[in-house]
Amino acid sequence: MTTETKQIPCLGALCACLCAPVHKPEGKYLDTLPGLTAILLAFLTLSGLVLAVYYDPWHAFASVGFIGHEVNNGWLVQAYHATGATALFGLVYLYLFRAMLTRGYRAPGELVWGLGVKLMAVLLLVGWLGFVLTGGAAAYWSLFKASNGALALSGAAGAIGGWFFGGPAGSGTLARLELFHAVLAVGAMAVLWLLFAARRAVVPRAEPGQGVAFFPYYLAQYLVALAVFALIFSVLAFFTPHLGQPAVNALPADPLTLPLGTVLPWYLLPLAGIAQALPGIWGGILGVVGALAVLAALPWLDRSGPAGAKGGLYCVFTWVLAADVIGLGITAAARNYPQASLLLVLFTFWYFFHFLVLTPFVTAIEAK
Amino acid sequence: MRRFFAPLLALGLAVAGNARAEDTLSPLHFQSDGPLGSIDKAAAQRGFLVYQTVCAACHSANALHYRDLEALGLTPDQMAGVAAGVKLADGSAATLDSPFKDPAMPASAFGGALPPDLSSIAAQRPGGAQYIYALLTGYATAPDGVTMLPGHFYNKAFPGEQVAMPPVLRDNAVTYADGTAATQSQEAADVAEFLTWAADPNLSTRHQIGLRAVIFFAFLGIVAVISKRRIWREGR
Repeated sequence: MTTETKQIPCLGALCACLCAPVHKPEGKYLDTLPGLTAILLAFLTLSGLVLAVYYDPWHAFASVGFIGHEVNNGWLVQAYHATGATALFGLVYLYLFRAMLTRGYRAPGELVWGLGVKLMAVLLLVGWLGFVLTGGAAAYWSLFKASNGALALSGAAGAIGGWFFGGPAGSGTLARLELFHAVLAVGAMAVLWLLFAARRAVVPRAEPGQGVAFFPYYLAQYLVALAVFALIFSVLAFFTPHLGQPAVNALPADPLTLPLGTVLPWYLLPLAGIAQALPGIWGGILGVVGALAVLAALPWLDRSGPAGAKGGLYCVFTWVLAADVIGLGITAAARNYPQASLLLVLFTFWYFFHFLVLTPFVTAIEAK
Repeated sequence: MRRFFAPLLALGLAVAGNARAEDTLSPLHFQSDGPLGSIDKAAAQRGFLVYQTVCAACHSANALHYRDLEALGLTPDQMAGVAAGVKLADGSAATLDSPFKDPAMPASAFGGALPPDLSSIAAQRPGGAQYIYALLTGYATAPDGVTMLPGHFYNKAFPGEQVAMPPVLRDNAVTYADGTAATQSQEAADVAEFLTWAADPNLSTRHQIGLRAVIFFAFLGIVAVISKRRIWREGR
């Protein structure tokens, strides 16, 4: 520790933190998922800042085209931002699914798990807002349905909806949604910071004398994870920049024409499937809120206790749930066959059945 | 308000010279296909000729400017020549935006069907260039038992098989300066390549950067794994 650390105290604290041999010497690569999420959020903020400089919410579709065609390397920043959203949801979904498989949500990790679900919920809203900002045909009709649905509600819910959308979807709506997109993205960073703090408090520490420091051991591990992530990201960004986005969104919105195939981006599809499976506006809202709520309640639905055995049967059911969620997404994306509505109801039923019935029973039986 | 575009026939192809195009029709393939595909500039230039001579009478390409043609290999003088050669019916200069200044006009003139803007049509339609080729060459006489809507044409590639656009491409609708035979299929394939470029002008660059990025990060990953193993082994 030299003189500059005395002058800048936080540097000394950082050095002490990085060099303290407190970490367990067996780190998993997938433990880097929250760290990668933080790096990606910073990357998305930077690319989003570049896009926001040129974006004009009053002529949304034209300005997205302008950024892609006329702004120097604008097409590249667009590909980064769109692929960043895809990669972000890939990381968050993988993080949550891994916590479910390893039962990392159990005490003392309930708070970390709850913050992870909250992070996903905020990011889903940010992702939808970003999708709507593109101003394409699919985005326009999604906003049209959401704002009309929100305004049709009575009482406090309608008032909140009216305040959020500022009235029926019009040219001014995107101007306020652009603001919400940016502010809620900062909110997602705050949630992620809380998640880091909560995780640091509960992560098991090494025995004295047995631990390793972050530098250089875990830094080397992070570099591997980052390189692999950057490799996957490059493949997505440069070879499939529109992965999971509806092709119809390349069409300018026309209030008099509802084109075929107006679906949401892939990361919103499972929740959209649950919303579509339940009747009415309130059905959709309660479906989405309930789906997130049962997910957040998982530490208390799992009856095996903090030290209970991890059974294989529940692990199989977790994989079945993953297949169920993928099925929800696929069915919500391709709704042009008559069995789709029935399938959506079945998949939605299984989702709630898994959390509310299977989870308590199977974990209680396996813990005995 | 039709646009007339005659003088372009004298435009020499900047890229291909007088070489004839290789046969991409049997089997049909596009140079822009696949993860490492790139825009075939000669085909896209021929496609631009088809677009300006045939398609632009009804379809706009709002996102394009004449200056964008530089990416297809045209010199500034050639681009100026192209732009100067395009006239509206009253003799004034024409841009690549809609030939119909009254937005209600095309719908009323074409049986309610609005000719879509073509600047990103290859990205909007599933199948992209393949779909455009199939649509432009898919006209046929309607099979028995199919009742045609008034003002519609039978086309087996179009969803619903009845399209309001008449079959506009025919053999020798244009004359290619590079000597390529202007068959109907050749014109359809060339205009499909042009529209692929219009929808994704950076396709070639994107694939080039992508290949380099993948190679770089693959090597970086190998180096990172080796260094991580060495650091962790020495630490024990």
